[in-house]
Parts: sequence; structure tokens; C-alpha cells
Amino acid sequence: MTNLSLAMTFALVLLALYLSYKDKIGLEKDIMIGSVRAVLQLTVIGFILTYVFDLNNIFVTTLILGLMVYNAAVVSAKRGRGIYHIQRIAFFALLFGLVITLGALLAFGAVEYQPSQVIPISGMVVGNSMIAASLVFNNLRENFLRRREEIEIKLCLGATSREAATSIIRQTIRSAMLPSIDSMKTLGIVQLPGMMTGLILAGLPPTDAIKYQIMVAFMLVGAVSVSVFIAAYWGSKSFFTEFEQLRQP
Amino acid sequence: MLLLDVVDLKLEFKGIPVLMGLSFQVYQKDCIGLLGSSGSGKTSLFRILNLLQSPSQGKVMYLDRDTLSYSPTALRKRIGYVMQKPHLFEDTVADNLLYPYFLLKTEPNYLVIHQYLEKVNLSESILQKKPTELSGGEQQRIALIRSLLIQPHILLLDEFTAALDEENTIAVEKMILAEQEEKNVTVLFISHQAVQAQRLAKKILHLEKGKIAFYGTKEAYFTSKDVDV
Repeated sequence: MTNLSLAMTFALVLLALYLSYKDKIGLEKDIMIGSVRAVLQLTVIGFILTYVFDLNNIFVTTLILGLMVYNAAVVSAKRGRGIYHIQRIAFFALLFGLVITLGALLAFGAVEYQPSQVIPISGMVVGNSMIAASLVFNNLRENFLRRREEIEIKLCLGATSREAATSIIRQTIRSAMLPSIDSMKTLGIVQLPGMMTGLILAGLPPTDAIKYQIMVAFMLVGAVSVSVFIAAYWGSKSFFTEFEQLRQP
Repeated sequence: MLLLDVVDLKLEFKGIPVLMGLSFQVYQKDCIGLLGSSGSGKTSLFRILNLLQSPSQGKVMYLDRDTLSYSPTALRKRIGYVMQKPHLFEDTVADNLLYPYFLLKTEPNYLVIHQYLEKVNLSESILQKKPTELSGGEQQRIALIRSLLIQPHILLLDEFTAALDEENTIAVEKMILAEQEEKNVTVLFISHQAVQAQRLAKKILHLEKGKIAFYGTKEAYFTSKDVDV
């Protein structure tokens, strides 16, 4: 693709601007900011990644993965405002999701610990885990508020905090996992996901591209599971005091 | 036998005093009626006794030990609490009545469940109903049975017959008295009906604005000219 071809694709943004303006949707400013930010952010990250890939340093690569997890945890924690230790919970939920999944891929020999491989893969893992963890925090907050009486009834009968919150935890995990599972179910039927599309566009035969996509699908469902379970169980625990009392909202 | 020793109990909520230095003692097989106007701190006291809330100051001793030193789950099984709103959970009434057995990790005793249902004028067919299909009075009786199945030493009842008609109120009171007699259960109950306190209580604890206005025998309370019921 030439730079001119790329520049011409901006016409599609102009189309979106026109439609928004014509129907008075009021999204023109957001579309402009969004497209400018996308160009700037991707350009910057393009240069940074080129530098990091050339550097091929294990510590720099690990530092970048750490920053990725930290930033995702900050974003995800915003969905759980009011939950005790939310930053810590979000960070470790995402970190364990990444460490376990990436560790497994490295152990199985599916990838090598090189920046050009682990950084894009970690980006996908952390991004998907972040969305799932945000859903967990949001659901926990809503359910602990809405079902407060039910939890207290169970507590006053002598249930532990875990027993009192079991149905909320299960429901929360289920609803946070479903998007990943549904997405896996429709792979190839409804969507040709990012990695596979990228590889095909780069000239790899589709039969080879699917191997990577299958790996990504399994990796994402594994990472999301780990992050969701940690976020749900640890998150729900933080709604209770040391005396197994429900904290005041 | 001294069961509960409440010592200088204070509770503040968002800076507002709710309980202001309550001290009283509860002995085994006591049946104490808690009276007092709305907002006098009766429910807050029950929440502290059941450890759903910690006091701001003071302590509650249960069998000579601070309640905060017990495992909260073990203590709550000893000091049962039936809340004013009979919140039923899960799918059916049976699920609610089997939940205590799940917590106690014992096999369900259907005979005991049926006996309780019979005592409070409920038929076995209610077990398969959903909580939403029940009247307020039926829900209240199921919530009471659910707490009794835990077999507490002390039972805290918060307006436990508020949704019941007279016939069922009497049946429930009879069941509570039988529990006392047969299992040495100690009962504290909140009521807004002086007539119920007269029928059921041995002692009266009257709270006003977070303080004890009266604590003594029922006879002394109802003959006292200073107390406005």
C-alpha cells in the first residue's frame, strides 16, 4: 500500500463526517479527534515498536509489557470505583492473565520471547482481559448494591462472605466470559479476526493464517478466564470487612 | 446463665449517634421485648448483636467472650437474626429451607421442616412455590423457619409478625414459646404492639433516641406510670 492510497482512505472519515453533519448527529468533533488521535498514536507507536524490535532487549520488552498491564489496570479500575483496593485487584488480575497465557505459549514453543512476537500478542491478551475485567467490576458493583439485602440475609444465617456472594460471583463470571466465548464460536463464520486478516493481507496463505488465529482464540479465552476469575473472587471479597460484614456503599 | 453482656455500646452512623452507651444483660431463656419509637436504635442493636455491624465503642460479650473475637459465621449461627423484611432468595421456598442445611453441612431433615410448616399453618405444597407467589405473611413465616433451622441459641426477631393476621400471629408466638421451652432458646424481639410484648415477653427493653429508657420485668414496665407505651 502506498502512502497516497493510505491518505485517500481518509475519504471514508469524510463520509462519516458528512453523514453525522447531515443528520445532525453531533459527532463531527469526536470523529475528527478520534481519527487524528488514531493517526498520531499509531505513528508514534510504529516508531517506538521499530526501535524496541531492533533493540531486542529482554528487560525493555518486559518493561513495556508491565506498562501495558499497568495502563490497562488503570482503565479497568475506573469501572470499579468504590471497590476497595480496586487498582491492586485490576493490576494483578490482568498480570496473572498475561503471565499464565504467555508462559504457556512460551512453554509450548508457540512463540519466542522476542519483542516482535510477545508485544503484539500481549497487547491482544491484555486488551481482551481488560474489557472482561471491566465487565466484572461493573457487574460486581451493580449486584452488590442491588442484592444487598439478600447478601445480608445469608450472612446473618451464618454464611461466609464467599457463600453469601456465590450467586453474584457466578453470574458475574458468566456475563464477563460470554463475549469471549461467543466471539470464539463465530470465528470464521461472522468475523475474520484481526490477526488472521493481517496475515492474509501480508500474503500468508489462509490455511497458515488460521493456525495463528486458532492459537490467538485459545490464548484469549485462557487469559480472559484467569483475569475474570481473579477479578471476580478477589473483587467480591473486598466488599466485606474482616468481620464478614458488608461494607457500607 | 449469663449469655449476653452488653457494655457501654455506642454506634455512630456518618457522625450521627444512633446508640448512646447501652448496657444490659441477657440470661438464658430470657424473652425480651424491645419497644421504642422508630429510629430509637432497635434494629441497629440487633445488627450489632448479630455482628452484621461493629459498634463504634463498647462491646458485646457472648459467654464471657467479646463477640468480635468469635468467627463471625459461627457466632451468627448461635445468634440468629430474622430481619424485618423477609427476603427470600433462590428459586423455590424449598431452596430457602434447605439453605440452612447447606450452611450447617448436614443432611436435610424434612420431618423437622414439615413440623415447622404445620406449626405456623402452612401446607407442604408451599415448598414448590416461588417466593414471588407468596403473600407477605407467608414469606415472613418461611423466613422465621429458615432461621430456626440453623438452631440458634439466641433468636433476634425484628417485627416478625408485622405481616400476619391475628390467628397466624398467635400460631407463630406459640412456636417461639415452644422453642424456648424445648430447646432453651433465648429470644429478643422488636415489636410495635404493646399487646404482643405483654403476651410474649418476660422482660422489656425500651429504647428512646439511642438510650435505654427502661429495662426490667414486663410487670414493672406495664405498671410503671412513667412509661408511655
